[in-house]
Amino acid sequence: MTAPLIALHDVRRSFTLGGAAVDALRGVSLDVAAGEYVAVVGPSGCGKSTLLNVVGAVDRPTSGIVSIDGRDVATLGDRAATEFRLRRVGFVFQRFYLMPMLSARENVELPMAEAGLARAARRERARELLAYVGLAAREGHRPAQLSGGEQQRVAIARALANRPALVLADEPTGELDARTGAEIIALFQRLNDDGTTIVVVTHDERLASAARRVVHMQDGLVVDDGRSGRDS
Amino acid sequence: MRLTLALASLLRHRARTTLAVLGVAVSAALLLDMVMLATGMRESFRELLLTSGFQLRVTPKGTLPFDTEATIDHAGDVLAALRADARIDRVSAIAGGQLHVLATPQRHAANEGAPLTTTFALGVDPAVQGDYELQRGADITAPDRLVASETFLRVANVRVGDTLDVAASFDPQLRTYGGRRRLVVSGVARFLFAPAADPVVAVPLAELQAMRGDEGRDRVSAFMARVRDDAAVEPVRRDIERTIPRVTAVSTTTALVQVERRLSYFRQLAFILGAVSLAIGFLLVATLVTVSVNERVGEIAVLRAVGVSRRHVVEQIVAEGLALSVTGAALGLALGVVTARYLNTILSDFPGLPAAFAFFVFRAGAAWRALGLLVLAGVVAGVYPAWRAASLPISTTLREEAVG
Amino acid sequence: MHLWLSALLAAVLAQPPAPRTIAIDERLAADAGLHVGDRVVLAARAGAPGDTVVVAAVTRQPADPADVARGEHHVRLHLDHLQRLAGYENRVDRFAVATRGAGAEQRALAAIGRAAFGFRAYRSAEVAAGTSRTFEVVRRFHRAIGVITIVASAAFLLCILLLKVEERRRDVAALRLMGISRRTVVAALVLEAALVALLGSALGAALGWVGAIVINAHYRGVYRTPLAFAVVTPGVVVLAVSLSLGLGAVAGLLAATRLARTPPLSLFGR
Repeated sequence: MTAPLIALHDVRRSFTLGGAAVDALRGVSLDVAAGEYVAVVGPSGCGKSTLLNVVGAVDRPTSGIVSIDGRDVATLGDRAATEFRLRRVGFVFQRFYLMPMLSARENVELPMAEAGLARAARRERARELLAYVGLAAREGHRPAQLSGGEQQRVAIARALANRPALVLADEPTGELDARTGAEIIALFQRLNDDGTTIVVVTHDERLASAARRVVHMQDGLVVDDGRSGRDS
Repeated sequence: MRLTLALASLLRHRARTTLAVLGVAVSAALLLDMVMLATGMRESFRELLLTSGFQLRVTPKGTLPFDTEATIDHAGDVLAALRADARIDRVSAIAGGQLHVLATPQRHAANEGAPLTTTFALGVDPAVQGDYELQRGADITAPDRLVASETFLRVANVRVGDTLDVAASFDPQLRTYGGRRRLVVSGVARFLFAPAADPVVAVPLAELQAMRGDEGRDRVSAFMARVRDDAAVEPVRRDIERTIPRVTAVSTTTALVQVERRLSYFRQLAFILGAVSLAIGFLLVATLVTVSVNERVGEIAVLRAVGVSRRHVVEQIVAEGLALSVTGAALGLALGVVTARYLNTILSDFPGLPAAFAFFVFRAGAAWRALGLLVLAGVVAGVYPAWRAASLPISTTLREEAVG
Repeated sequence: MHLWLSALLAAVLAQPPAPRTIAIDERLAADAGLHVGDRVVLAARAGAPGDTVVVAAVTRQPADPADVARGEHHVRLHLDHLQRLAGYENRVDRFAVATRGAGAEQRALAAIGRAAFGFRAYRSAEVAAGTSRTFEVVRRFHRAIGVITIVASAAFLLCILLLKVEERRRDVAALRLMGISRRTVVAALVLEAALVALLGSALGAALGWVGAIVINAHYRGVYRTPLAFAVVTPGVVVLAVSLSLGLGAVAGLLAATRLARTPPLSLFGR
């Protein structure tokens, strides 16, 4: 049996919010295998987004082990964590967060430029990725000229820029209407079919049901890791 | 890509970027002008004094050249003493006085009236003089010759070749003229130390002294001396004052110090305004970059989230400040040169100022240093907001931006 | 008795005359370390024999701008004494004439013009105007610098106000969505900008007043003169405040109008 891509062991995360101590994660242990498509669901404030941030080395846990592809990212310094995010993880956000002054292609090129890829090579790959998400014809458009769904697809293309081992998505359909959301859900499906490991945090039932495994969280804990009653 | 992002960020808000660049440009222009003013007066005056290579001026005790009507008597003895000093290469004696023009080929003074025009006259030895540069015609190589400025020719309505009836003194009560001569305008010259608007002529020294009678006999207004070795200027100056106690010897350095003291107000003004310009440029860039960063914290957090390093975020934001400063400085250079010319024409109206004197002198080295300082200020102005932005906690910022 | 009187007369006649007196200015007194009662030798030329005189008074020069940078020393003598010392004989450089009564000035000018050939009488104001060219140049220079500074400040102010108003775009968007008119929103922002400008002007006027004190103290010390170099007059304050308020209001209006024209949802970033 191969080692899981993501292995969380007793991960805790506390912070102070408005003077009060908040335990966002209260001892989460979870494994995600390579190639899995996992949806993390739960009520607002249950710690889903915090969990995603910890996995993506955007946030550091107060305690516990966060192992990604055999590497404990919880102990990484800022520089190493940044490098990790650049090369090993692709983020997709609810609000897209594209650079408004860059074109679609330039937005996709951004992580590749940071990774030091030559201009011609990153331009080529950016075009490939935009074609993959169905936006080949819109490469020169700025985000303001794209619909919400199109912007999210550019964001997904950007997340794939450096061929990450893992794509993390935080409410990727949160700002989209049903039809557009369905397109994004289909795109995630396709990504996973092509071998990308995906962890998505969502309130969207359709997105959750499209995932192959659903992890339920409540009050900072995993109450159902989605493996019970399913074929592993 | 960082430069692309920086420029794209600036172009995103064209109005504010344009205003910021304009503000930096005007600050840069003012800074450049003040640098030119602070160094220009000194440089211009020094160049003026050294035009003919004379490093020393010898004047009546306690005066500056032509500052008063005082004269040095027994001028022949003083001249001999100066020439006897082997360290001195050349000595030029100058007498100053007024010359009244009584008649020209075109006009005559009314019998009972004042002269046609009155001009300042320099009595010089043309072989060694350092007061004018002949532009056309012939020098005053004969006793009945006169060299004039363009202003004199215009005011007196005469040309080269005209014979003038002149006098060195006029008694308004008795209405009589003393020291009359008929002099021929032999040439036109640019008088280095005279204001452009004043009519000036030069005649042979002995002639002017004779025309002035007792008042001019063996008297001069000043001497100029050229010392062979620059290193010997100060010792020669001290020796002159020691051996001839009734004169003051002023070296170029001393003259510069005295003129600077009189014009110290402008130097201090230049320093203060220059500092204020630098501060304004710094504040402008700092404010613009800070506000721009505050507006984009979400974007910056996303950049950090997708793997852009802190250093590269800082570099991108600092690049914005740099772009503003460099563009503003470049525009400011052009603007500063134009405004310096305008300000110089205002200050050149000072009465009694030599035409060749300039308040604002452009020196490339000083200009680059000043503008470089402004650009550096712009870079530094961007560093703090950039560092703050890059140090934002990514997850908290993303959450706050999502809520906001 | 007669003998005694003759001897007294002879003794008086034999005594040397009392030295003449002069008045010197404060600067000379300080530089040469002279005091009232000191005896000095006065001569027309350095090295020439002169008169021994007594310093009878130390005077303060009036604040004459033309003298400020020259650093000269002034000595006052009795007219006949200076004429004799300088070899002037029965000559003077000028007369100063005070007239009495309305119209006397004009009559005096005409009379002097008729009576003294080759001489001209000037009103003091004419002389002042003629010798003020230096200060006219300095005034124009200061005005030019002032204009440049105002342009830089205007660009700065406009830029800052643009930024500050744009920072409030979500507030503006919310107000507009609530139904508040563009005019009300713009008026509120302009009023805010004007108030900030007014406060800034008050601070600036206070700083200017303090600055003037510092400038005068400094240059009075440098040039050793009671002259006032910087004067903050009510007119200057009014001009500065008006300019500042005007610039602030215009800058606020431009920035606010720009923002108010933007559709509210765009201001929310949607």
